Amino acid sequence: MRKIGDTAIAAVTVVALGSGVWLLGPGSGPHTAPPQPSAAEGRPDPGEERLAAPALPPSPPTRIRIPAIHVNAPLMGLALTPSGSLDVPPAGDKNLAGWYEAGTTPGETGTAIVAGHVDNTEGPAVFYDLGALKRGAAIEVDLRNRTVAVFTVDAVEVYQARDFPDEKVYGAAKRPELRVITCGGGYSRTTGYQGNVVVFAHLTGSR
Amino acid sequence: MRRTVRLLTGTALAAAAAGLAAAPAYGGGASGLDVYPSTASPGGQVSVNTAACGEKGSAVGDAGSVGAGTFTLAPSAHEGEAIGQFRVPAGAQPGTYEIVATCAAGNLRVTGDLTVAMTPAAGSQAQQLQPHGSVKTGVGAALGTDSVQTTAGVAALAVAAAGGTWLLHRRARGDGI
Repeated sequence: MRKIGDTAIAAVTVVALGSGVWLLGPGSGPHTAPPQPSAAEGRPDPGEERLAAPALPPSPPTRIRIPAIHVNAPLMGLALTPSGSLDVPPAGDKNLAGWYEAGTTPGETGTAIVAGHVDNTEGPAVFYDLGALKRGAAIEVDLRNRTVAVFTVDAVEVYQARDFPDEKVYGAAKRPELRVITCGGGYSRTTGYQGNVVVFAHLTGSR
Repeated sequence: MRRTVRLLTGTALAAAAAGLAAAPAYGGGASGLDVYPSTASPGGQVSVNTAACGEKGSAVGDAGSVGAGTFTLAPSAHEGEAIGQFRVPAGAQPGTYEIVATCAAGNLRVTGDLTVAMTPAAGSQAQQLQPHGSVKTGVGAALGTDSVQTTAGVAALAVAAAGGTWLLHRRARGDGI
């Protein structure tokens, strides 16, 4: 009788241990925080900036690829929210990014803007690793006219939402530039992510 | 999804437009010829594309209304659309112009509107409405823990610890398992 009781306790212990590990383990719910850029990836001295390629004719983008962080996602058009901030793609599709359709097309002179989710309710999404991107990395954007615009990363910054540098991120540029934006900058249970990771890049070629 | 809907409506309306010959000018997408950008300045380059000519269908574009003459729309890999480009003449006057494309096969005619505005390209960029503020691109699921799940996990581990302790205690007393 005692033996049966002990076996039952042993079984319950093993099952409880297993489910405890499963419930709290890395594979099921919580993941590690998305990578954040280091200060070394900040804006370089002006003299250090690489030469820009000539601007491309305007053509809407269809896809973005960032080989260094294994991003390969279609792009949808984004508008502004009623409050004037950039809208975001639907969170349900974790491999979808968007571009600001009323703005500059990637490759055209000016500042083109691409945004995507760092995560959704199911876990990491398209730009989860954006904060791990390094200066000099390549970003490729497929355009509808069959051109591929190739950008080179100048800087990876993280900005707090309450002190967001609009002009620096969205402001007009004299050469073809690209911004890739996702959430980042610390996380609060009540207000969510505290800011954004912003990748600054400029056009260095096309094919 | 939006794209598919647009392609379907575009094709349907283009067919209707062909039947009516002189079709009224709808918006670019609705009448089957997308003009991008829909507002350009004199000297600017414009891309047009249409899905109306079918897979691998080419078309002849006519931007004569704005003084840019004819151009070719070649079939592309992108969603089976025919794509072409032309340059707005430097002397073009502000206004709205109808751009026409005629499919090589079947003579289907699709149209789209191009607005010419005097603002130079660089100026129009500066005047564009810019977004402001941060972007809501995450929910924190990648790091925030589901509290119910955490509670369940902790409870399960507590049970395991209790069970383990009990069994070890018994073994230490030499009762065997």
